[in-house]
Amino acid sequence: MPARKPKEAALGAAAAAGVATAAAAEPPRRDVEELIAKIKGKDENARTDAWVNAGRIGAPAVEPLATVMADPDLETARAAKRGLWKIVRRAGRPEADRERKAAVAELAPLLEEGHPDGMRREVLWMLSEIGGKESVKPVAALLQSRELREDARCALERIPGGHSLKALQAAFDSVGDDFKQNIVQSLRKRGVDVEGFPCVKRKPTKETQVKPLA
Amino acid sequence: MTERARVSRRRFLVAAGAAASVPYFVPSRVLAAPGRTGANDRITVALIGVGGMGGNHLGTMMRYRDMGEVNIAALCDVDEQRLAARIKDTGPGVDPYRDYRYILERKDVDAAIIATPDHWHAVQTVHACEAGKHVYVEKPSSVTIEEGKAMVAAARKYERAVQVGSQARSAKPAHAACTYIRNGMIGKVHKVTCWHGRNAIGGTQPDTPPPPRLDWDLWLGPMRWRPHNTAYYHGSFRQVMDSGGGNIRDRGAHVFSTIRWCMDADGQAPVTVETKGTANTKGIYDCPPEMEVVYTFKDPDWVVVWAQPGDRHTNYPDQNNDFGMAFYGDQDTLILDRDGTRYAPPEKARSFQTPPGGVEVYKMDRFKNDNYEFGSNEYNMNHKEDWFQAIKTGRRPTMDIEKGHQTAVMCILGNLSYVLGRKLQWDGEKQEIIGDPLANRMLGKPQRHPYHL
Repeated sequence: MPARKPKEAALGAAAAAGVATAAAAEPPRRDVEELIAKIKGKDENARTDAWVNAGRIGAPAVEPLATVMADPDLETARAAKRGLWKIVRRAGRPEADRERKAAVAELAPLLEEGHPDGMRREVLWMLSEIGGKESVKPVAALLQSRELREDARCALERIPGGHSLKALQAAFDSVGDDFKQNIVQSLRKRGVDVEGFPCVKRKPTKETQVKPLA
Repeated sequence: MTERARVSRRRFLVAAGAAASVPYFVPSRVLAAPGRTGANDRITVALIGVGGMGGNHLGTMMRYRDMGEVNIAALCDVDEQRLAARIKDTGPGVDPYRDYRYILERKDVDAAIIATPDHWHAVQTVHACEAGKHVYVEKPSSVTIEEGKAMVAAARKYERAVQVGSQARSAKPAHAACTYIRNGMIGKVHKVTCWHGRNAIGGTQPDTPPPPRLDWDLWLGPMRWRPHNTAYYHGSFRQVMDSGGGNIRDRGAHVFSTIRWCMDADGQAPVTVETKGTANTKGIYDCPPEMEVVYTFKDPDWVVVWAQPGDRHTNYPDQNNDFGMAFYGDQDTLILDRDGTRYAPPEKARSFQTPPGGVEVYKMDRFKNDNYEFGSNEYNMNHKEDWFQAIKTGRRPTMDIEKGHQTAVMCILGNLSYVLGRKLQWDGEKQEIIGDPLANRMLGKPQRHPYHL
């Protein structure tokens, strides 16, 4: 993962997304540091308490947690991922659009090239839940990634509104033939039929090696 | 071509059967002579998913086959080792498949029994209905609200009998409790509490390449892709929110079905759902080890509390029975162990006789189980019998998909409130969460191509 200072990342992302930074509502920096320290610690109860309560820290913890998701210790990485999800779910609550936008602004840059695919896949699904039109461009860019395009397609399918639909329509022309059916499925789900691409969902493809008894 | 000539043989026979007011089901292969039970009356079934409960279903179908009432045409599983073993158990004349869609292409298959992990239930049920198959699908019927709605729509559009495997609706203990409660013997019920053992903590092993015997892509199916890990399967899929949803979606789908039956509440939805739960401290399993969900219902007003572990109000304290329910009426209380399948209710309910003019509750008891013997499988046979009769008569099965969906709604919303960390206001008519747009976004989940509705 490229080295990025949390503060720089927060400011840069917020500016890029054209939203107010979360700085005004930011919790003390020591809250983020304490969260990360507990998640990287060896006490599993303290670690669990930390990720369970990460939602209250919100956007400023997004990038630091994402960094820890690449930790070689499985439980540490898992706790970071779960903490990130807590932030996403809390930011999506009603009447919290400012928090949602701040979290989205932090998540979007994590889709950039150079971050681990596993983390980017997770972020795509997070944006599928709380992303709006501001998320469409970075998500749509990953339709060109062989590893991540299916998750990106799913995210666009779920993000409501005209921007995501237009991105899917544009993708139909830009993706390879081996992925057009996937895009067509999302378009169908969004109410747009594409001629010449009948649904293949019931077409069997995988044969067993097991033989019937004589 | 004349109009008559354009009517297929099958359609003609169906129409003729219906016109004569006799069961309209005609098996795919041949038509039986009236009143004669023989090979011609057999329903040809295929089983999709033959591990765990799928093995139990296979056992019931083999009993039916022995009785001359069912043909078993095919078995399907994504685990080749398990598939081979089940084919061996079942004997000659049964075709193995890895991909269930081959089964749906077969014209000779009348019905499918689906016992795959939960995340496959809806897609396979909808596809089977579209292919003209009747369906018995394991509970919970779906993992999202959107899936459940699609299942109901498919069953209705294609006029298929879709039975959900909450088999207490065909079990003697649950029937006795239902009859007792519906006849007002404990008064007006204002609260039902459930207890269940904790969800598991675990799944700490690292990801590995999938073994050659397992088609990981097909196992995942509609779910988002993830690296293979043995913690996800086979039985342990229950402990993962995406695939199993923990015990509230497993046993909860049984218990809530029985509660809704006893309360005569199949048409009623909760208006609020609020969950508190603890967090899993390690491993892949992500369901809350302990949780409490409070569901409120209006008109009539009552409450359901699902609790893990909750207070164990069992009638059988000397047995290792880890779930059940207690009905609190304004005159008395009734405790029912498990989901009302394996354990008899208290004597007062067991010996109750419906008075003249009282409420009679539908009962399927072709296969008798007079002594409530622990471990009896007769309720599984009776639940299949109900399904077969629904197929043959065109009526809806006792645990029709619409009721199964309404039950699954409770399981799904209970978990969703936990995941989101907030109380949900539910509009059962519109099947929407009120005032929470991002929670509504989670009533469905995008599915991987091509394993989608």
